[in-house]
Amino acid sequence: MPQIVVENLSKTYRVPEREPGLGAALKSLFRRKHREVEAVRDISFIVETGEVVGFIGPNGAGKTTTLKMLSGLLHPSSGGARVIGAVPWERKPAYLRRISMVLGNKSQILWDIPPVDSFRVLGEIYNVPLLEFRETLDELVALLDMEDLLHKPTRNLSLGERMKCELVAGLLHRPDVLFLDEPTLGLDVSMQTRLRRFLAEYNLRRGVTMILTSHYMADVVALCARVILIHHGCLLYDGALSGLARKLAPFKLIKVSLGNGHMSAGADPQLPTGVELLQRDNGQLTLRVGHDDAPGITAKLLNTLPVLDLSVEDPPIEAVIDQIYGDGAVNLEETL
Amino acid sequence: MNLRGAWALIKRTWLSWLQERSFFFLLAFGWMISPLIYLFVWSTAAGAGTVVGMTRGEFVAYYLILILVNQLTYATSNWTVGDMIRYGYLSGQLLRPLSPFFDTLASEIAGRVVFMTFVIPVTTILAFVLRPELQITLGNGLAFVPALAMAWALRFIWGYALALLAFWATRADALVALQDAFIFLLAGQVAPTVLLPGALQSASVVLPFRYMLGFPVEVLMGSLGQAEVVRGFVLQACWLALALIAFLTIWRAGMKRYSAVGG
Amino acid sequence: MRHLRLIGSFVGIAIENALAYRVNFWISLLHSLLSFGTGVLAIVVLFSQVEAIHGWTLTSTLALLGTYLTLAALRRLFIGPSLEALAGLDGEIWTGTFDFTLLRPVDVQFLASIRHWQPLVILDLLMSGGVLVFAVVQLGRTLTLGSLATFLLTLFVAVIILYALLLGFAGLVFWSPGFLFTWLFNAFFQMARYPVGLYPGWLRLVLTWIIPVGIMTTVPAQALVGGLSGAMLVGSVAFAAALFVAATVLFRTGLRRYASASS
Repeated sequence: MPQIVVENLSKTYRVPEREPGLGAALKSLFRRKHREVEAVRDISFIVETGEVVGFIGPNGAGKTTTLKMLSGLLHPSSGGARVIGAVPWERKPAYLRRISMVLGNKSQILWDIPPVDSFRVLGEIYNVPLLEFRETLDELVALLDMEDLLHKPTRNLSLGERMKCELVAGLLHRPDVLFLDEPTLGLDVSMQTRLRRFLAEYNLRRGVTMILTSHYMADVVALCARVILIHHGCLLYDGALSGLARKLAPFKLIKVSLGNGHMSAGADPQLPTGVELLQRDNGQLTLRVGHDDAPGITAKLLNTLPVLDLSVEDPPIEAVIDQIYGDGAVNLEETL
Repeated sequence: MNLRGAWALIKRTWLSWLQERSFFFLLAFGWMISPLIYLFVWSTAAGAGTVVGMTRGEFVAYYLILILVNQLTYATSNWTVGDMIRYGYLSGQLLRPLSPFFDTLASEIAGRVVFMTFVIPVTTILAFVLRPELQITLGNGLAFVPALAMAWALRFIWGYALALLAFWATRADALVALQDAFIFLLAGQVAPTVLLPGALQSASVVLPFRYMLGFPVEVLMGSLGQAEVVRGFVLQACWLALALIAFLTIWRAGMKRYSAVGG
Repeated sequence: MRHLRLIGSFVGIAIENALAYRVNFWISLLHSLLSFGTGVLAIVVLFSQVEAIHGWTLTSTLALLGTYLTLAALRRLFIGPSLEALAGLDGEIWTGTFDFTLLRPVDVQFLASIRHWQPLVILDLLMSGGVLVFAVVQLGRTLTLGSLATFLLTLFVAVIILYALLLGFAGLVFWSPGFLFTWLFNAFFQMARYPVGLYPGWLRLVLTWIIPVGIMTTVPAQALVGGLSGAMLVGSVAFAAALFVAATVLFRTGLRRYASASS
């Protein structure tokens, strides 16, 4: 059953502009220039119950804006969306009770008191029955292994520990849909892995639908079978992560080990056309070939060279995605 | 001393304050209100006659000068230093090759200038509307300058020292608020100190608060005898020296503690 | 019922929060006492110099001060801190943590108005009640059940007016985030500490009609000292109701604006 249906969603902002310097600052006291920014343009997609979808794209692509519209924090300029059958920006209590949002750069835990007290207040706000509250809290605390954090004042917790608390705060009312905006921001690698494992397990246990934005590719690779790529506010790709890799990097890597004598001479063996030699070490060659050419070229290699071992691989996904966040982003629209 | 660094800090503070355009005007407006209320109350009380020898116009003059002096001596940083420590922002400042003290000093100086752009026009307009009576002699005017400078230094350093207690108490803002309450009562805001009842009046002479605000006003108004002015300056200097010693002691001990606890 | 439980849990948190910083707690207590004392003293000092100003004597001014202090205490008990956390300095709307508030399945206006409590203010409430009792005793007026009920009604009306004004001012922040409207209000609110009649004509008009803080204290004080007309009573009830509706509409319009403009 589709849980999130988004149709032609768009959002345009008016932002004030100012030149640097004191003079311009003074001038802006009286008159401000504005500029229209199309943050999200005509996006449509559907998410099924229990799916984990990753929103990817460079900074300012419109990921967070989309997320905020789906959680009801923003009104779209045009288009529509339904999440668990409700229009998010009507912000009906019944809807808000079934969703949750965790923001990596903002905190909903009170600073001066132990997290457990913040949790209790949230339990009241979401009207969670006491028994269910205790059960959920125990479950989450066990899953995140944070028994000892509950009673320390929040200001004494580390960033990673605070993020654990944010997750608990977001899940106390057992939401059906969870929006995660950069949940692993600024955390160390082991804490990132820990939170990822928690999210994956929680998704399995409760069948929660999750939408996640992250700059850490490892988050997306580990959690999201499906990704939605947004760039300059436009949806460029929606589908399996592996499929995105194929589209962005339409080639395969062939690793061949050759028999002795062929390598020592120093001269490269005769390679078929359309093959690029990437790397050569210890008797192994790494070749790059076009995605569709791979079967033919493999056959040719086996026929013409004394092959000891041969494997065909997809390029590593991280490398592909890095291309999106890096310089490759500029040409994305043409590629896809 | 790193003059270029200090100037850059002052300019940055100005810039960020202009960015939040209305913010400092509002602050200045808020601080004006309380003395303004007492200006109205006392000048209405004096009416056509006098209260303890002060006429309506003299009350107006007294409070308008007090508004100016108050804005010139009120240290905003006293409120921010505590939070800097509490939220650990101090660590960032400690990394720079410039003592955090200069950060605070820079925002103070920048602040004074910015506040004046609001307060001077407003008090001028008020002066036209409310018609103060004031005669300033050259001697009083000359004595006013050091009295004002020392009042500023005393209020700033005293408040800074209090705010630094945040190293130990995590939250020292209540202390700063307490100081404000004392200044309100004893420094000539609620009434010129000569109007305070007996015990309070003696307290106001001895305690430091009058020397942060009321004293320069009285000097400029010429309402003090020569002996009183001299005694005032001596007490002001003593309190300033004491505040400096307290500040340096607390700062040293606090830094030691900050580095030990790790912010 | 659910709303009451919600308030209960917020009060619980507030008490815990207040106790978390021990030193701050005691200093705040001292501050409370001191600023209360100063407020009373200011009036005593004033009336030690003059018999009456514009018909206001020491006793009737104390009754007004008692009303003002009660209102100010109620404001600081929860209305002020809650709306300040929303629209004040580093408030939620400025920092963007308002997002979380919007995500709650509770009426946003209700939640935003009752979230933060200052339990210590109970002490201020008691003290201001003391001033009211003192003023009534001094007046030698025997309070009937009827006039007491009238006083409580007018006090309630005043709280509604106060809340509506603060909500309206806080709501303006949706149009101009970063402008501290609540501080602007605070400046005017301070003026209600004295009878409006003490101020010059133009200011009296502002305090009666534009930012009607005068009505808040004058009407209950009149109910206590005598001299409140029936028309005035009915009028103030109607006025409070209208103001409440207007502020609510303003706040909700602002909310919609926030949702369509923030990032």
